[in-house]
Parts: sequence; C-alpha cells; structure tokens
Amino acid sequence: MPRLIRWRDGAAAWGEDALTAVDDDQPVPHGDVLVSLALFQRERRSLLGQGRNLGVIMGPTDEPESLVVDLPGLSVVALTFPKFRDGRAYSAARVLRERLGFKGELRAVGDVLLDMSVPLIRCGFDAFVPADASVPEQWTASASRFRHVYQRAADGRPPAFAERNDLSAVRV
Amino acid sequence: MYRYDEIDREVLADRVAEFREQCDRRLSGAMTEDQFKPLRLMNGLYLQLHAYMLRVAIPYGALNSAQLRVLANIARTYDRGYGHFTTRTNIQFHWIKLRDAPDILRDLAEVGLHAIQTSGNCIRNLTADPHAGATADEVDDPRIWAEAIRQWSTFHPEFSYLPRKFKIAVTAAAKDRAAIRIYDVGLRLHRDADDALSFEVRVGGGLGRLPHLSPVIRERLPVRHLLSYMQAILRVYNRHGRRDNIHKARIKILVASLGAAEFARQVEAEWELTDKAAIDLPPTELARIRATFARTGFETLPAISTVFEAAKADDRAFARFARNNVMPHKQPGYALVNVSLKAIGETPGDASAEQMEVVADLAERFSLDEARVTYEQNLLLPHVRLDDLPEVHRVLAAAGLATPNITLISDIIACPGLDYCALANARAIPIAQDIARRFADPALAERVGELKIKISGCINACGHHHVGHIGILGVDKKGEEFYQLTLGGSAEADAALGHVLGPALAADRVAPAIDQIVEVYLRERRDGERFIDTFNRAGLAPFKEVVYAPAH
Amino acid sequence: MKALTANRLADGEVVFWTGDVWSERFVDSRLFDDNAEAEAAEAHAKSNIVELVDPYLIDVAAVDGGVVPVSYRERLRALGPTNKPDHGKQAVGGADTALLATAHGAARSKGRVDLIRRK
Ligand code: SF4
Repeated sequence: MPRLIRWRDGAAAWGEDALTAVDDDQPVPHGDVLVSLALFQRERRSLLGQGRNLGVIMGPTDEPESLVVDLPGLSVVALTFPKFRDGRAYSAARVLRERLGFKGELRAVGDVLLDMSVPLIRCGFDAFVPADASVPEQWTASASRFRHVYQRAADGRPPAFAERNDLSAVRV
Repeated sequence: MYRYDEIDREVLADRVAEFREQCDRRLSGAMTEDQFKPLRLMNGLYLQLHAYMLRVAIPYGALNSAQLRVLANIARTYDRGYGHFTTRTNIQFHWIKLRDAPDILRDLAEVGLHAIQTSGNCIRNLTADPHAGATADEVDDPRIWAEAIRQWSTFHPEFSYLPRKFKIAVTAAAKDRAAIRIYDVGLRLHRDADDALSFEVRVGGGLGRLPHLSPVIRERLPVRHLLSYMQAILRVYNRHGRRDNIHKARIKILVASLGAAEFARQVEAEWELTDKAAIDLPPTELARIRATFARTGFETLPAISTVFEAAKADDRAFARFARNNVMPHKQPGYALVNVSLKAIGETPGDASAEQMEVVADLAERFSLDEARVTYEQNLLLPHVRLDDLPEVHRVLAAAGLATPNITLISDIIACPGLDYCALANARAIPIAQDIARRFADPALAERVGELKIKISGCINACGHHHVGHIGILGVDKKGEEFYQLTLGGSAEADAALGHVLGPALAADRVAPAIDQIVEVYLRERRDGERFIDTFNRAGLAPFKEVVYAPAH
Repeated sequence: MKALTANRLADGEVVFWTGDVWSERFVDSRLFDDNAEAEAAEAHAKSNIVELVDPYLIDVAAVDGGVVPVSYRERLRALGPTNKPDHGKQAVGGADTALLATAHGAARSKGRVDLIRRK
C-alpha cells in the first residue's frame, strides 16, 4: 500500500493510504476508493452510501463549495498542488475546514515539498504525499520551528494578539 | 514607533535560525540552486549582476536611530559602504556574500528589522505616508493600521503563494504621499462626522507592462474590520487570479477583467461568510499598537521661532533649504525636514554608511529618535524643533544631504537599472545624473518648480516612470540603450498615467530632450502653473514638436 | 566566439572559465570557437553546484586590442557598475578594464546566448 505522511497532535508519522485511486475512465471497484471530483459528481449515487471509505481528489480550479452537501459522507478530500508555487489549495483547505466544517482527512498531493509544512498544516491539511523524498522527522521539525503565529487559520493556534492578551491578563 | 515585544523577537529569531540552516545546506551542496533559490528569495536575497543583493524591509518607512546605525554597519561591514533606498521604502545592499547573509539577518533582527517577504508572490512590505504622526492633514496615524497589516500578513499561511506579488499602501491624509493609487490595495482613512473611522478601499492599481490606477471597491469600511476584509480580498484573488501568464497575474488584471463592481461583489460575498471576530484584531490589541505610536515628547513651543526666522534672513542657502526641504508640522514650533538623497551627480537613493550615521545622530538628537524613508527615495526627519533647524541644516550640508531640491527637477527617482539589476534593459542612474547636472543651479531648479522625473530601467517600472510628470523608460533597441519618454503622469491625488511623447531616444539625447521640454514649459506656462498643469492644458503637441524637430 | 561565465555561490562574484579554473577577470577567459566544446564546458560547469550558480555562455567578439563580450550587460558584469568606478572589477584598472570600458561594437543589452530558447 502506498505510504503518506500523517500529521497528528503536533507530530508527523508514516501512514498507510487505504484508498485505491481510480482513473476517470475506469470502472469503480468495490471497497475504499479515491476518485476525481468529475467522477464523483457523475457516479455520486453509486459511490455514496455503500458503507465504504470514499475520497475525492480536487484540481486547483475545482470549488470546494461544490461538495458541501456530500462532505459528511467523505473520509478524504485531496487537494492538488500542480506546482508548489500554486497556492490555491491553501484557500480551498481553509474553506473546507473553517467554513464547510469538513472533519475528515485533508490530503495534499502533487508538488508537495517539505518547505510547505507550515502553511499546509496551518491551513488544515493533515496528510501529505511529499514529492521530495522528505521523511516524517523532517516534517515534525520544520512544522514546529516557529514558536508564534500572527493570524488565525484552520489549525487553532492562538495568534500573537491572543497570546498577548492572555499574557497581560496573567501579568495584571 | 512600534517596538518589538518578546513574541515579535522570537518570530525573527526562529526565522534567522531557519535561514542559517538552509544556507548551510546550500553551501555544503546538500541542496541545489533550484531548491535553494525560492528559500533565499523569501529572505530577500537576490542574485544580481555583480553579486547577491539583500533587500531589507523598512515597514511603512519608519526607522529609529538604532536601526539606521545597524543599516550603516551592515553597509560598512558586509557591503561596500553604502545602501540604496528604493521606491518601496526598502533598502538594498548590492554587494552581499551568501556566506554572510545569516549573520546580517541576525544583526538586523537585533533591532527588529528583517528581509521577510521582500520578494516572492506574497504580501510585501507595507508603505504608508512618510509624514504620518507629524502632519496636520491626517485623520489618524496610518502606521497603526499598517502595523496591524504587517503582523497579520507576516508568514500568512494562506497567502504565501499568491498568483503574484501583492503590495499595500496606507494613508490618512488628504494629500497622497504614499502613491496609493498604484498599489494592489490602497487604503485611505476617513473620519466621518460622527468621529467614526473608516477606510476607502481601492484595489487593482499597479504599473509594469499593463499599468492601472486602482478603482474604489468600498467607500467606507469600518476600521475594526480591516483584517477580515483584507482576507476576503486576498482570498478572491488567490482563488481566481490568473496563474497561466505571469504578465496577467497581478490583481489589477483580475479587477479589470471582472470590472470593479463585480470584483467588489465577490469580495463582499466572501466577507459576508467570513468569521470576522476570529480574524479582526480585538480592541485591546489595537489599543496596544496605537499606544506604541503615541507621541509624548513634544514641547510646548511658540509657532514662530525667532532663531529660525533670523537664520533664514541671514543665510540664503539656509533660506532655500527651508523653502524646499522643510515642511509644516502639526505641532507648533516643529517642522518636518526632508533629507535629500539626490545630491547633484550622485546616485538617487544611495546613502553611504557615514550618511546613515549622520541621519541617525540627527534623529536621536533632534527628531525624537525617528527617521523615515519616502517612496521618492529620500529620508525625512519628522519632528524637528524650528529652533534646531539651522544646526540640522549645517550637519546635513556637511554630509552632502542638504541639497535643496525636494520635488524639484533634480529630485529624480531612478531604479538601479542595468548598473545592478539582472532584469534591466538599460541604465537609469547615469541618465538621472546627466539630467541633475543640467539643473545643478538651485535658482534655476526653483524657477522651474515642481517637476517629478521618474526613471525605470525596464518595464517592471520600479522607478514609477508611468506616473512621473516626465517618465523615462529604458528599452532595448537593436541592442542599444534607448529611452522612451512619457509626459503628464502623476502618482498623487490627481493620479494619471503618462502619455508617450514619441519614438525612444538614444541615451545621449535624453538630457538634452529634458532641457527642451523644460524650455517649452517655461515658455508656455501661465501664472502659477506647475509643469503638470501646463502639460494638462497644452497637451503633448508643443513638447513633441520641439523634441522631434528635424536636426538643423 | 563564446566564453563561459557564472556567479560564485559563496560570494556571488562574477567569474569566467579559463579552461582550468574560474577567474574573476574576463581577460582570462577561455575563448571557444567550437560550439560543441563550449556547450560541453557549460554542461560540466552546471554539475558544479557547490561552487557556482547559473553558468552560461556569452557571445564575445574581437575588437581593436582584444576580445570583449558582445553585449553591454556582459561588459558591465565584467567591469562593475558605471556609477561607482571604484567598485567591482573595474577598480583594479589595467588594460583589460580600459578595453572593456571603451570598446565599440555591436552591443546587445541582453547578453545571453540563445536567450529566447533558454526561456
Ligand atoms: S525597473 Fe527593471 S531595471 Fe529597474 S529595478 Fe525594476 S526590474 Fe530592475
């Protein structure tokens, strides 16, 4: 089974990818599958409600809002980085997590590099398929390098202004 | 001024440690240049023609004396004794060694300076009105809001890989000294009748290959919602800005193609769904930032200084300096002093280590420890007592920093051009030097009056040529340096893009052409008209006729 | 005719390939008449990632008194900025500096060989 890196409780570790990727022109097998948004929309009825784990992989122009009613039935949403410099998936991830309340696995695929660890995790990703042969120890180190952040995102970290508020409350 | 607290300092320390490790990996060969380049660019380190160039952010152009001294020390220790202040109110060091870069960032961090987000497709260093906190015509201190955006945009996880770079300018004054209409986002503060503060939000300005002046997308945004509204703008851009063509990737193209109204509608729709309370700063934090900018050191002084008046009457050079470089302050008995980095024949925007130290000393002794960088590539001492002006002038003049030419024809903006920049088509600095030498006589320069010449070495327009009263753009014509002239641009409240005068001119024709243009202006001008007024009335034709008249 | 140039990784200095080592002076450049040889040298330089950044070939031409880069940009790289004659390689002075600074010829401001193809 292909491996990926999972982020849980502040640390990265190898994990197994339990989903079988299915091409758009293939018949959908039984069991746990990862399909494109187009295939999902076409075969929505037969894919959902069969008690299987289902993942949808979205391209950079796919709108996460189009999944809104089906999200509770999905265990994985994978967002694609065609190049590491293409940051659209960060917005899609935050919309999925913070606005649409997606609780399943949010997976980064494509040109996914170690140096993206901080923005990925902050925007709500918790699984990565790295394209640069990086390993979980490196992800843990690189993602925890910064002791503070300046803004709220999808990871729940308190921003500097909240830390300051707490500090001054304690000091008073 | 804003003072870094423990949290701000730890953010910088973490960043310096990270970059040191990345540099080590590159120098040892563990990383290739392709892998390293984006990482060094994120720390402001470019490879230019002769060496590495380090671009240090000066947020909203504000510096204290300790920071200026560290910049001077970097120039002396790690560079060749000078730095170049840019139209983005950054400073660039042209002769940096990669192996020194981590130490330089460490030195900068000690005084709360850094090179974060001075490159790359992210939210870049903010600019603001350099007169902030000193001018009577502002409704609030724009630096408070600029600082709020600075923090919010630092390492923003969602907006670190935008379609293209993103620049924000803030002003709170009626007179636009921050060129807000040529920025991706331009914010102008308003105070309404009921004392409520709001922003007029402009989006989609920018120069370069396809210049645009920004339209207003929201007339009144309550200030407390600044950050959530910025997030909405950036999110619409991040999701929908073009990524297929680098020349069409700036937000100006998205705004122009959707139309300002439709773009505004999309932003409002996104903002409607935003959890504003999570993003906007709480009043406590805004109050904390505001308090750091509160000025308490002013003395109660008479509005008229007999020392200043007597010095003007006695000394014509000082009187000229006072006319051109000294501006009124909101506090009676004080003034703003412009420090000209445009000495005749020198490189516009360059300052030597010694000059930076002179300005640092003056800031400390005479300007409540503050100095500013203006987008017109000068420095400024914002809070000088009128009584101290003669002494400040004496010290500046001794250091070659008192050229009395602010907004005059020799106060030229010029980018580094082909002398340094890897992207250039032609040199900009020697053109500026040629022109300035022709108007070295300060009486002549004053007679010509306000005339803003802006020179870029290529279409990227770092020298703002589109919005110069006279703009000069370096082009490559069959392998030689040529220059295209535009007339009638402006970066201020009356913002306009210049009109092309005619075919590009060879390098040695540029300064003579400026002479001719000035002659036409002096001939045509009516009472009280500035160059730009005469141009707007008379149009291109009389200028064109003279510059392109067949040679005798 | 071509020469091979790069920037040195550790300090960014402009360097030229002599056929043996990397020199800071253009005048030391090995001149390639043969394109295949020039490209082989370039490929070899590209593999030297610990010492160099972005090696590339430039066009050079014979003028009165020697050989100079064809392009204006490359002459500036070999000299230093024109606004600071005491900075960069030109500060050393000498006949090679004088030649680079004064040579006439078909200067193209974009110096790289095959710039279009490289993009
Ligand atoms: S305008 Fe062009 S030449 Fe000038 S600094 Fe910008 S990129 Fe370089």
